[in-house]
Amino acid sequence: MTARSLQLSRPDRMTIMRTICVREWREALGNRLLVGMTLLPPVVILFAGIGAVATAAIYPPSERDVQAIYAAAPAVVGLDPKEAVQGLIATYFLILFMLIPTVVPLTVAIYSVIGEKTARTLEPLLATPTRVGELLLAKSVASTVPAVIVTWLAYGIYLGAVAWLGSRAAVNAVTAPRWILAIIILVPLLTLLSVNLGILISTRVNDVRVAQQIGGLVVVPVVGLGIAQVSGRVVLNNESFVQTAVILIVLDAVVFLMARIAFQRENILVRWR
Amino acid sequence: MATVITAEGLTKRFGSLVAVDGLDLEVHEGEVFGFLGPNGAGKTTTLRLLCALIAPTSGTAEIAGYRVGRDDERIRAMVGILTEQPGLYERLTATENLRFYAALYGLPGTLANEQVERFLRMLGLWDRRDAAVATFSRGMKQKMAIARAALHEPPVMFLDEPTTGLDPDAAKTVRAFITALRAEGRTVFLCTHNLDEADRLCDRIAFFRRSVIRIDTPDHLRQELYGRTTELRLLAPASAAELERLRTIEGVRAVEQRNGSLSVTSDDPARTNARVVRALVEGGADIAFVTERKVPLEEVYLRIVEGTELE
Repeated sequence: MTARSLQLSRPDRMTIMRTICVREWREALGNRLLVGMTLLPPVVILFAGIGAVATAAIYPPSERDVQAIYAAAPAVVGLDPKEAVQGLIATYFLILFMLIPTVVPLTVAIYSVIGEKTARTLEPLLATPTRVGELLLAKSVASTVPAVIVTWLAYGIYLGAVAWLGSRAAVNAVTAPRWILAIIILVPLLTLLSVNLGILISTRVNDVRVAQQIGGLVVVPVVGLGIAQVSGRVVLNNESFVQTAVILIVLDAVVFLMARIAFQRENILVRWR
Repeated sequence: MATVITAEGLTKRFGSLVAVDGLDLEVHEGEVFGFLGPNGAGKTTTLRLLCALIAPTSGTAEIAGYRVGRDDERIRAMVGILTEQPGLYERLTATENLRFYAALYGLPGTLANEQVERFLRMLGLWDRRDAAVATFSRGMKQKMAIARAALHEPPVMFLDEPTTGLDPDAAKTVRAFITALRAEGRTVFLCTHNLDEADRLCDRIAFFRRSVIRIDTPDHLRQELYGRTTELRLLAPASAAELERLRTIEGVRAVEQRNGSLSVTSDDPARTNARVVRALVEGGADIAFVTERKVPLEEVYLRIVEGTELE
């Protein structure tokens, strides 16, 4: 007797990607800890930013604060002190928004790989006709999309709040074309970097906390850049944005390639523990 | 009978460790093939090689005409595998888990739903279809994993320890499922430590330790190593003279008396049993029962795999 067989063809790449992404999101939404860890950083940064701009609008800065601000940010010299403070604070928090795409997707990506490792769900998944590259790409996309959406959403709320509460200088700061471009372009690039770094780290460790600690290093350059700008050491002009974007594209490609090398079917089954 | 799994000189090394060493194997269409060996013998590695999950270091293997290393994607599409661990997505429901895999195997929506329902019903999980897998018992998870392996109706299924850790009821369901697969003409490659299960389910078995030691039917192996044994329960023990007389009957290989039972081993019990019974009755013995004693497969396994017989 010959067994009944279904005449099935391999699903197209988009179907595979969509199927894996939807499954990842369903699982992630069922993990309260993960949802909390995903939403906490943008909420904290958002509330802190709005609170700081509102405080600066209510309380005028002291003479000493004004002098310090003028010294740190020569661009605001000549502005009304209250305006200058709000503009500076609004810009400073925009830099902090760049932390969201580094922190949020890292956690999601780490859970995505380590979660599958510890639950032993990778072997049956790898036994399907799905290609390993498709699986890695789907995992990257599944971790990247929510982080980008959350960042853009937080930026949108921040923009609305600053427009409502802040001075003209603050509104100008947050609607500066290079910042809008940064949010549109740099956020996805930073997110991808963080995601693939998270995946790469997760191939080597089994503990989510350890992976987060190692992956947390990715925020250091962003924080450094923020401090350098606030202290006036670095001026983020159009040229530096382009340079940052190019560097991020290169880093994204390198880290994805490294993750692709680590993410081999045989490695996953035999060496990952 | 067509051959669906072939391995020739299949070898897998991990550094200096030889996990599978020159495996030669042929598995026929529609048979349940038992793959037995001690822990660390390389059974799981063999399974992974045959399912095109890992690449062989040397040698070749073909699954239904598709070559491992060349047609890996096709092989993965046409085999079903039950891994050692169920590996299910615990936060998803039973239906969501199976629909996910149905999509990856290319089952279109309606067919996927039909197949999910079919296998959940077959394995007694339909009532729990909307419950998160995290709430399932070990046995239910194992049944889910089997449903997942069979979802796309693969002609060849690889099952790694399908009943380990299951209660008797769940194990019975799984065994019935395997029997149903064979009845449908599917080939089942069964890795198991459960020798009783292998005895009951398998058409042929392979004893394996890095490479195949023996392949045969369980009954043929038994007969070759132990002959066929008939057990006669007597109301009173037989005398030494009676035992000696039985040993002289043509075809009788051994006679033993233990705890009021006589064990008579012969090559062809259908021929010798009548003579044995006649000789005992003529000698005045009262026989209460005559039964065939099947040597447990465990004994056969230990003799072959531990090398006490064939070394």
